[in-house]
Amino acid sequence: MSTLQNVTPSTPQPAPEPQKHPSRARSFSRRLSGKFQYDEDRFFLILAVFIGIFAGLAVVCFRITMEWTRLLLLGSALTPSTLRAFLAPSLTGLFISLLIFTLCKDARGSGLNQTKAALYISDGYISMRTVIGKFVTATLAIGSGHSLGPEDPSLQIGAGLASALGRRLSLSRKKLRLLAPVGAAAGLAAAFNAPISAVLFVIEEVIGHWSAGILGAVVLSAVASVVTMRWFLGAEPFFRIPPVGVIRWEELAAYAVLGILGGLASVIFSKAIGWLRPRLKSTPARLQFFYPAVAGLLIGFIAFAGFPQVMGAGYDYIDQAMHGQFAWQMLGLLVLMKILATTLSFASGTPGGMFAPTLFVGAMLGGTVGSVEHILFPHLTGSIATYALVGMGVLFAGFLRAPMTSVFMALEVSGDYSIILPVVTANTFSYLISRRLQHTPILELINRQDGLYLPALEEEREHEVLSVENAMRPTPSIILLGEMTVFEAWGKVKGSAETYFLVRSEHKMWFCVAGEDLHRWAEANLKKVLNDAVGNKPLPYLHPDQDLEEALRLVSKWPQIPVLSRADISQLLGVITLSDILEAFKNSADDVNLLEGPRGD
Amino acid sequence: MSFLTRNLAIREPLLISLLVLLAIVSFAFTHAYSQAYDARRNDLGQKWFEHGNQELAVNQPAAGVEAYRTALSYMPQNWECRLRLAEALVLAGQTHQAHEYFAGLWQVQPQNGTVNLQLARLAAREGNALEAERYYNGAIFGNWPDDSRDRRRDAVFELIDFYLQRHDLRQAESQLLTLSANLPDDPALQTRVADLFMRVQDYAHALDFYKRAARQDQHNLAALLGAGKAALQLGDYRMAESYSARALHEDNGNQDAGNLLRLAQTALQLDPFEHGINSSEKARRALRSFEIVGARLDACDQQRGKSTSSTPANAPLISSLQKWNQWKPNANLTSLAHNPDQADELFDFALQAEQAIQATCGQAAVYDEALLALVRKRSAEEK
Repeated sequence: MSTLQNVTPSTPQPAPEPQKHPSRARSFSRRLSGKFQYDEDRFFLILAVFIGIFAGLAVVCFRITMEWTRLLLLGSALTPSTLRAFLAPSLTGLFISLLIFTLCKDARGSGLNQTKAALYISDGYISMRTVIGKFVTATLAIGSGHSLGPEDPSLQIGAGLASALGRRLSLSRKKLRLLAPVGAAAGLAAAFNAPISAVLFVIEEVIGHWSAGILGAVVLSAVASVVTMRWFLGAEPFFRIPPVGVIRWEELAAYAVLGILGGLASVIFSKAIGWLRPRLKSTPARLQFFYPAVAGLLIGFIAFAGFPQVMGAGYDYIDQAMHGQFAWQMLGLLVLMKILATTLSFASGTPGGMFAPTLFVGAMLGGTVGSVEHILFPHLTGSIATYALVGMGVLFAGFLRAPMTSVFMALEVSGDYSIILPVVTANTFSYLISRRLQHTPILELINRQDGLYLPALEEEREHEVLSVENAMRPTPSIILLGEMTVFEAWGKVKGSAETYFLVRSEHKMWFCVAGEDLHRWAEANLKKVLNDAVGNKPLPYLHPDQDLEEALRLVSKWPQIPVLSRADISQLLGVITLSDILEAFKNSADDVNLLEGPRGD
Repeated sequence: MSFLTRNLAIREPLLISLLVLLAIVSFAFTHAYSQAYDARRNDLGQKWFEHGNQELAVNQPAAGVEAYRTALSYMPQNWECRLRLAEALVLAGQTHQAHEYFAGLWQVQPQNGTVNLQLARLAAREGNALEAERYYNGAIFGNWPDDSRDRRRDAVFELIDFYLQRHDLRQAESQLLTLSANLPDDPALQTRVADLFMRVQDYAHALDFYKRAARQDQHNLAALLGAGKAALQLGDYRMAESYSARALHEDNGNQDAGNLLRLAQTALQLDPFEHGINSSEKARRALRSFEIVGARLDACDQQRGKSTSSTPANAPLISSLQKWNQWKPNANLTSLAHNPDQADELFDFALQAEQAIQATCGQAAVYDEALLALVRKRSAEEK
């Protein structure tokens, strides 16, 4: 994605009528017009703030509607009655299917992949029908107790609103494409009450690569949306985080165990979804119609079996787990039950996100490890809440494979820097195990199951960036000096297999001369030194660490480019030519194919 | 909108104005919507909170816990509800969860008296003396919403009780002395403090507070009886007799008061060191004690049978029997009246023998008890 550029408005400004004696008022008006001249780049940043506000408002309405729905369908008790637990998710599942199959087909899924697909396939276009459809269906699904979260739909709603607004304002196609991630970050930030994590998540999972061009707009919209959301819903996090306190070094071992278990849980979670989803999707459409209802019925059964906590997003239960309200056995069972319930809900095509379930599973897993640690090593005083919080980050790193977001999320939610060490320790284990056992991240896997191949930051991180030093050849044996005469130079290069030769002038500038030219000048008996013969346009130069793409741009104009030391600009380290660059790219491609083969699980 | 945005000179300010307008309208709508939602949440929170209170009132703490949890899902920052949930968890026997919950509340309000007191109780229940002491002190010096002086005083009472349960009389007395320094003129409180002084064996302070209470409320049976007991412990049998008589006057059928009166009178009859008695009275009292002990030694000897001669535990009893038999020929009123030192020695022997009897055969009658009271008085005087 390119950086923001000035764009000339498509509609020309009408020429002002000629005035013999322009009045003072008119001159003021003209100056004012000049001041307020439309600048799409500047307007884009202002628009980002408005997108943040609108996305924040939409998310507030979304959450409130979801809560109303829950009250209506599941009742006001924390644990729904058996009848409601069975009927609400199953019957609502049927209604959701009806909506999806008849009115808003694109409302299926979490919303995260759909937003990314819209960004890369349709220039960020998300229809208002999809936005409304996602709002209604996700509200019904989560409100009725399906094991899904509101964050990913909020992300899509934010992106959709931004897209619709951009279209209404007749922004250029380039800007329209940029608006989707801006809206996505705003939606997610408002849904999770964490702007930094939202920005990072959108960069890691939606945009798929680092882009300085829209970072400012994304941050602005995320902050605006969080401020808006807090205006209505308050600044309190969805779960209360007790102070982390001092982490003892012995506890790092427990956090490493949490990381390992989190990595394994992430793999189980990913494999379960990756296995069930394509199987359900491959069945006839008439059967698919009933899957959300069946998933709802099964979730009702899980609730009936003693685990009503798996219903809905589950933030209240995360709070309880953080405050030691569950025994470790219960916490462990909740990990498994939530994975099962979310797999059923998500694979059935019910609209809703995986963000909250991931946090739920992570919190319960962290709580389990923390509780067991307290039993085995009572002298260690780390609170269960800290383990639960680290557990959330662990699942984020392992399951969603967003390692940076996972660290910042734990930091942002806890507001305590002392959590960094356990989070990084645990996340590293989780991420490495998950990568080892589940090569393709879950979001990418889902994309591929849908036939989409979209860029991912993880791929970019793994992608080897070739630099000049990977392609340059050593310093040539023949270096001509500017003060040499043409005859001396020809005498030096005569018989050499090289076509071009470097000339170093007395001002330490580099020139290039062809052997053929030297031969011609010598035959013509040219009485000149090379400084005068090669002209006054020196060669550009490169340094070994520069990107090979930079070198590619230069070698199209010059046959070879000198590579100079950054420490001593007069020191020639080598030269680079077009054939060297092409050879380096070819070797790199061979290495990738040899080592990795095609990606996929 | 496209018509308006066609004119580039006014496009940007116009668009911004339109967006501002749209934002204001959206804000107004969302505000109304969220207000309605907040009101509903608040209603539900209150409803479940009341439900929780009702469950606790009918002694259903588990249901109360569930109700409070539900209430908290609607008003998560409600301090009262959080506190009630933690208290309900204690009542439901979920002490671990309760501890975690109170610890969480403590992090928010470390000065909160109720939270500190509950944490102290949990720590005391778990036998964690250090933590209990810390939280009790937190409760004593913490913030209380109302009646803070009374609540702090109750916390001190609990801390004293905690020390007494741990048999740490020194700490208990120290707290008691601090507490008693600022005690209001309330007979019930004074009696309570005096009772605790009795438990830490500080009879002088106990008597003082019983007397204060009795002065405030002359019909305070507990204070009168307590004063009698404290006076007896201090060896002031006249005072003990006086207070127990007053107590019996207040409640004729009070067995404790009757026993105490008899005991005080018996001690008075037996005490050879009472001021103002002549040598023949002194000899008479010493001899009376000697005879009582003699009868008790015989009874105890018969009760123990053969075993009295064998086990090391019975050695003091056997020795006392032998000494009694040695004393017997010289124990007559005339010689004792002429030799007050001998009367003292005889009385001291009687007290020692009584201790040996009590250790072997236990306490039998009011005489034994009176003699033991005299033993205590004598040891206190010697100290």
